[in-house]
Amino acid sequence: MEGPSNAESSSKDPVKDGWNPDINQDEAIIAQQRQIEKDIADSIKLVGDKMDLSFLLSEYPDEDDVYKNKIKSLLKKYHLLRRTRPDGNCFFRGFTFAYFEYLITDAQELDRFIDVSNKIKDDLIALGFPSFTIEDIHENFMNALNSLKTKEVSNEEQLLNLFNEQGTSDYLVVFMRLLTSGYLQKNQEFYSSFLDSGLTMKNFCSHEVEPLNKESDHIHIIALTSAIGVGVCINYLDRAQGDQVTVHYFPDNCDPKIYLLYRPGHYDILYLRKDDV
Amino acid sequence: MTSSFASQFNLRSPAVKRLMKEAAELAEPTEDYYAQPLEHNLFEWHFTVRGPSDTDFAGGLYHGRIILPTEYPMKPPSIILLTPNGRFEVSKKICLSISGHHPESWQPSWSIRTALLAIIGFMPTESRGAIGGLDYTPEERRELATKSQTWSCSACGPIKSLLKDRSETPCEPSSDNQEAKELAKQIRFKEIDSGNTNQRTIKDSEQTMDKKNDENLTMNSDSTNIETRRRRIGVVHHDHSATEGSQKIPQVTPSISLNSPSYEASVQSSRTRLSSYIIVILILAIAFLLFRRIFLTDSE
Repeated sequence: MEGPSNAESSSKDPVKDGWNPDINQDEAIIAQQRQIEKDIADSIKLVGDKMDLSFLLSEYPDEDDVYKNKIKSLLKKYHLLRRTRPDGNCFFRGFTFAYFEYLITDAQELDRFIDVSNKIKDDLIALGFPSFTIEDIHENFMNALNSLKTKEVSNEEQLLNLFNEQGTSDYLVVFMRLLTSGYLQKNQEFYSSFLDSGLTMKNFCSHEVEPLNKESDHIHIIALTSAIGVGVCINYLDRAQGDQVTVHYFPDNCDPKIYLLYRPGHYDILYLRKDDV
Repeated sequence: MTSSFASQFNLRSPAVKRLMKEAAELAEPTEDYYAQPLEHNLFEWHFTVRGPSDTDFAGGLYHGRIILPTEYPMKPPSIILLTPNGRFEVSKKICLSISGHHPESWQPSWSIRTALLAIIGFMPTESRGAIGGLDYTPEERRELATKSQTWSCSACGPIKSLLKDRSETPCEPSSDNQEAKELAKQIRFKEIDSGNTNQRTIKDSEQTMDKKNDENLTMNSDSTNIETRRRRIGVVHHDHSATEGSQKIPQVTPSISLNSPSYEASVQSSRTRLSSYIIVILILAIAFLLFRRIFLTDSE
């Protein structure tokens, strides 16, 4: 099909059926994964601009009643959505962005969180994390918090710039991951019962919590929100029966500062309608 | 030195800030390790580590390069050993990851120091053929350890003068050495540049070939599958004892290296072995049917 030179080379191939010993399949797979990651990175910002929530309706076919009805119910309470890049960090990055956005408006809460973050650093070092790198990660995190305090970052645009600078943004995510890991390890007596048998909390944390790009589960969410005392309300938009999205609060019965939308495998940020606030 | 970097690199980059901090932290050579960035490139370092005492590497000094990605510390550094040592291949990229079933995971709370300690801690561990490692004999390793003392790097000079002299009480393992051993338990190395072929040993592959089942290599002859499984074999061999099953499927032992020609040979030979078994079984079955036919006709 493609031309004589190609046909010739494939006829020399000792084994057919697409098996070419000269091609390293591992590398091909890795290269493909990198390409997919790059495509996602090129098309979706780490944290995007606010958009009208009703665009969700266009993402599902008209006959998909389950989703359409749920989105309509969601639209009664929320009107805007902010997308995050689906890179495995969407919960942590989305949560942190939404929380920082809130912190711009609440100086008292900002001071409280600065204290909490300082204490967390000491806790992590006490737990045996290497102090040199924890200091570095904490310092980067505090730089971001201080830029909120000094009003160097005081509006949405500046915050978006901060969160879309990959290096800085990842540092923020890493600190949130580490504090989640620290909280789980400190309270492992309780949280270990949620793990598969035979898995230690330390192991779970070093495999599923601390590395960048590891997706979050309920246990991450409960630990993070409990560790810093910040409530989140998550709206689950999935195929489950009913006309309403499923709503969960973490921790239970909290007064949430952050609203997220969960669609299987991904979190985005939601914004309440003004008259509801 | 660090001030010269300041003019060359974007100081707002978290990676640059972090590497400059690490360069300052590691500025003084210790008895066991020393690493610094090249004068003109903060993202390439050279290091020297001392072979752990009470091992075949005692007395050895090993030099190498560390290549840091621009996303450091979010992505792992790669390490390239330059001094022949008998444990790690020379001039081949290896990188750190945590042990277990997620070889890709690196933790941003690790650092270059973690990597150096992991190399030291890893030297005396068995390579088991899997991950950019070599299984030289103790004699060969000791010989290389002696030779390594005169080894010289074209950029850094004779490596003997790079480390702090060992104190007079070598029997007491330093706290760094202890830490190194601990790290070696958690961390593992993964070969990056798997394009190069390399020769490593196969242990007992003949003996164990018919005995056990290895879930990582079923007899699916789809070559792509084998190719991806081959990767898994390299990283999951520690789970091996748990994967014994009842099916009789030829096994490739965990000691078989990634991408080595001998590995391919053994896959080939295990395939031919199976097909010859099938042929024998089929012949027996045909013979049985023939005899049955003959006896049945006789009895009529």
